[in-house]
Amino acid sequence: MATSADVALAEAAQPIHPEPTSFWRRYVFSIDHKVIAKQFLWAGCAFLVFGGVLAMLIRWQWGFPGQKVPLLGDVFLRGTGGVIAPGTYQQIFTMHGLIMVFFAVTPVLVGTFGNFLIPLMIGARDMAFPRLNMYSFWTFLASQLLVVASFFTDLGTGGAGWTNYAPLSTQVGMPGMGQTLVIVALFVTGASSTMGAINYITTVIRLRAPGMTWSRLPLTIWALWLTAILNALFVPVLGAAALTLLLDRHFGTQFFIAGASAVRGGGDPIAYQHLFWIFGHPEVYIMVLPAWGIVGDVLSFFARKPHHWYRGTVGAMLAVTLLSALVYGHHMFVTGMSPLLGQGFMLFTLVISVPSMVVVLNWLLTVWRGSIRLTTPMLFALGTMFVFGVGGLTGLELGDISMDLYLHDTLFVVGHFHFTMAAASFTGAVTGIYFWFPKMFGRQLDERLGKAHFAVTVVGMTLVFGGQLLAGYAGQQRRLFDPYQYTFIQGLHGLNRNVSILAFVLFAGQLIFVWNVAKTLLGRARVAGANPWEVTTLEWTATSSPPPFHNFDRIPFVLRGPHELGDAEVKGLTGRDFAGQAEVLPAKSGTAAAGGG
Amino acid sequence: MPIALGDHGVGPAQSPPGVLRSLADYRGRDRERQEITARVGMLVFLGSWIMLFAALFFVYGSVRSRAPAWPPPDQPRLPVLLPGVNTGAMAASSAALAVAQRALQAGRHRACGAWLALAAFLGATFLSLQLAVWSGLWRAGLRPSGGTYPSAFYGLTALHALHVVVGLVALGMLAARARAGRAEQLGVDLWAWYWHAVGAVWLVLYTTVYLV
Repeated sequence: MATSADVALAEAAQPIHPEPTSFWRRYVFSIDHKVIAKQFLWAGCAFLVFGGVLAMLIRWQWGFPGQKVPLLGDVFLRGTGGVIAPGTYQQIFTMHGLIMVFFAVTPVLVGTFGNFLIPLMIGARDMAFPRLNMYSFWTFLASQLLVVASFFTDLGTGGAGWTNYAPLSTQVGMPGMGQTLVIVALFVTGASSTMGAINYITTVIRLRAPGMTWSRLPLTIWALWLTAILNALFVPVLGAAALTLLLDRHFGTQFFIAGASAVRGGGDPIAYQHLFWIFGHPEVYIMVLPAWGIVGDVLSFFARKPHHWYRGTVGAMLAVTLLSALVYGHHMFVTGMSPLLGQGFMLFTLVISVPSMVVVLNWLLTVWRGSIRLTTPMLFALGTMFVFGVGGLTGLELGDISMDLYLHDTLFVVGHFHFTMAAASFTGAVTGIYFWFPKMFGRQLDERLGKAHFAVTVVGMTLVFGGQLLAGYAGQQRRLFDPYQYTFIQGLHGLNRNVSILAFVLFAGQLIFVWNVAKTLLGRARVAGANPWEVTTLEWTATSSPPPFHNFDRIPFVLRGPHELGDAEVKGLTGRDFAGQAEVLPAKSGTAAAGGG
Repeated sequence: MPIALGDHGVGPAQSPPGVLRSLADYRGRDRERQEITARVGMLVFLGSWIMLFAALFFVYGSVRSRAPAWPPPDQPRLPVLLPGVNTGAMAASSAALAVAQRALQAGRHRACGAWLALAAFLGATFLSLQLAVWSGLWRAGLRPSGGTYPSAFYGLTALHALHVVVGLVALGMLAARARAGRAEQLGVDLWAWYWHAVGAVWLVLYTTVYLV
C-alpha cells in the first residue's frame, strides 16, 4: 500500500530540473524524453516515406514490368532509361523491407511511443537514464545515415533481401561497400534499440509513481515493457549475426561461406538463418506488441468500458513474449531441418495463436455493448483489430508445415506478414499518433480528414495485401523480377496490375495524413485541452497538453486502474463517466477524502 | 541492499500518512534509490550483452557440429597451457577487483586504487598473452580464411578481447580516480560486474574453444 510518504520519496528521487534554455539543448541534443520521442517520430516518418516509395517501385515492376517508371524514372534510373533493371529491383525490394522494419515502423512504434508514453503513463519525470536515451536516438540517426550512404556507393546499396541470408550477403554474392554499410547500419540500430530497451525496462521497474502497481499499469505500458524485454534479449542475437557476417565480408573468416565459394572447409549458411530468425521471430512481436497495447487501451477508452479481462490480456501478452522465442523455426521449414524439430516449431507456432486470440477476443468483448465513440483513433483501433485478425489467421496456414511446403516463398507469405507487420503495426502506430497527438503537440488533428485517412488506409491495405494473398495462393513466387516469364503466372498479370493501382492510391491516401499533420501544426488548429478524449490515464488526467518539461508539477498518487470508465458510482460523485488514475473523488457525505497526490 | 523490484522503500508502518520525516532522511534514501536504479539498468545491460556472446557460441557450436573433423588434421592445434595461464590471470584480476570493492566500502581509497591498478595490470597481462597466442598460431599458418575452425577461433577470441580492452580502459580510469580519492562505490561496482561477466565469458570460451 502506497502512502503519501512515498509521494515525498518519489518527489525527492526525481527533483524538478530547470528546463534548458539554449536551442541546441532544448530541441537537438535534448535529454527530455518527450523531445526524443518526437525526434524518433520525425526520423521514422521520413523513412516511412522512403520505404513507401520503394514499395511503389516494386508494385510498378509487378504491374507494368519493363515500362518506364513515371516521375522517378527520369531522376533515379537514368542509366537504364527509366526502367527498373534486375539488379536494381533486387536492391529495391531488399531496402524496402529493411527500411520499413528497422528504420521506419520500429522507431515509430517503439522509439516514439516508448519514449513519450512510459514516463508519462507511469507518473515519472523522465526516463531512468535520460542521457542514455539521447545517445539512443543519435545512434539510431547514425544508422539511418549509414543506410542513406549505402545508396551512394559504387555498386549501390544492399541487395541480399531484408534477411541478408548468407552466402548471398557475403562478398561472394554481394560485393561492394553498400551491402557492408547496410549490415553495419543493422548493428548500429541494434545498439540503439538495446539502449532504449535498457531504459524502458529499468524505468518501468523503478520509476512508477506511488500506487502505480503492476496491475494498474495501462496495457500500452505492459506491451512496451514486454517489447523492451524482447529487444534487450534478442536484438544482440542480430548483432552477433551482423558481426559474424562482417567478419566474413572483411576479415576473411568463413562462418557462412559454403559450397564452391568456400576455399576449404566451408561454413554453414544455415547457422546464419538460425541466428537471424532467433532474432527475427521475436522481432515480429516487437513490432506488434506495442500496437496490441495501444489498441487495447484505446478500445477501452472509446467504448467507455473497462478493458475486458485485463489480467487475461496481460497474461496473454506475457505468454506471447515467452513463446515468441520458441517459434522461429517456422521460417525455416523448407531450409532443411530435422522433421522432429520442425514439428516442435509447428506445435509452438500453433500454440502461440491461443494467447493471441485471448488478446483479440478481449478486444471484441471490450467493444461489445460499449458506448462507442467513433473517433479517428477508435476507428483505427477497430481497423487494426480487423487487419491483425486476417494476418493472424493466415499465419495459422503458414505455421502448418504441410501448407507451408506449398505456400513458402510465395506472395501469400508476403501478404501474411504485410497484414501483421505493415497493416497491424502501422495502423496501430497511426492509432497512437491520432490518439496522443493532442498530448504531444497540444493541438487536435482534424477529425474529418482523419476519418478519410482511415477509410483509404484500411480499405486500401486490405485490398492490396489481400491481392498479395490471392496471387500467392495461386502460386506466384515472391521476389521475381518479371513474374510473367512463367506461363502459369501470366494469368495473374491483371490481378497484379489492379493491385498495383490500388497500392498507388493507398500511398497517395497517406498524403491526407501528411496534410492533416501539417495543417494542424502550422495552421490555426483547435487547441487541445488537458484531456480532450475524456480518458483516465495519468498523461491525460494529471498534467497539461503538452506536458511541461518536468511532466508533473506533483508526482501523482495513483489510486486505481487504467480503465475506470462507465462506473455508475463515479458518475454519481463527479457527474462524469470516468475517473483519472490519480483523481481524488469528492467524498459522498462528510467523510474526509483519503490519500492525496 | 537487495534489488527489490517495485519496492517503494517506505512501508506504512515506518511513516504513517501525513507525517513526513526530515528531508535529510529522504535525501539519503533518495540516493540509495537512484543507485538501485543504476544497478537494475546494468543488470539489464549485462543480460542483453550476454545474449550477444550466447549467439556467437551458438554459431560456433553450429559450424563445429557440421565439421567432419575438429580441428582439421592439417591445421595447427590450439595451445592449452598459455590460455590456461590466461584463465588464471582473468580470475586473479576479478579477485583483485573484488578486493578493491571491499576496500572502497571501508573507505580506503588508496588501497582501492592499488587493487584496481593490480586488476588492470592482470587484465593487460591477459591481453599480451592472448597476443602471444595469436601470433604463435598465425606463424604456424593458421589464417581466418582457412575454414570454420580458424574463423571461430579468431572471431570469438577477437570479439572477447575487444571487451577486455574496454574494461581495461575503465579500470585504469577508476584506479586513477581512486588514487585521487574520488572513486565512487557505484561506478566501481558496476564496472566490476562488467569485468566479472567478461571473465565468465572467457571461462566458457576457454573451455569450449581451447579445451574441448
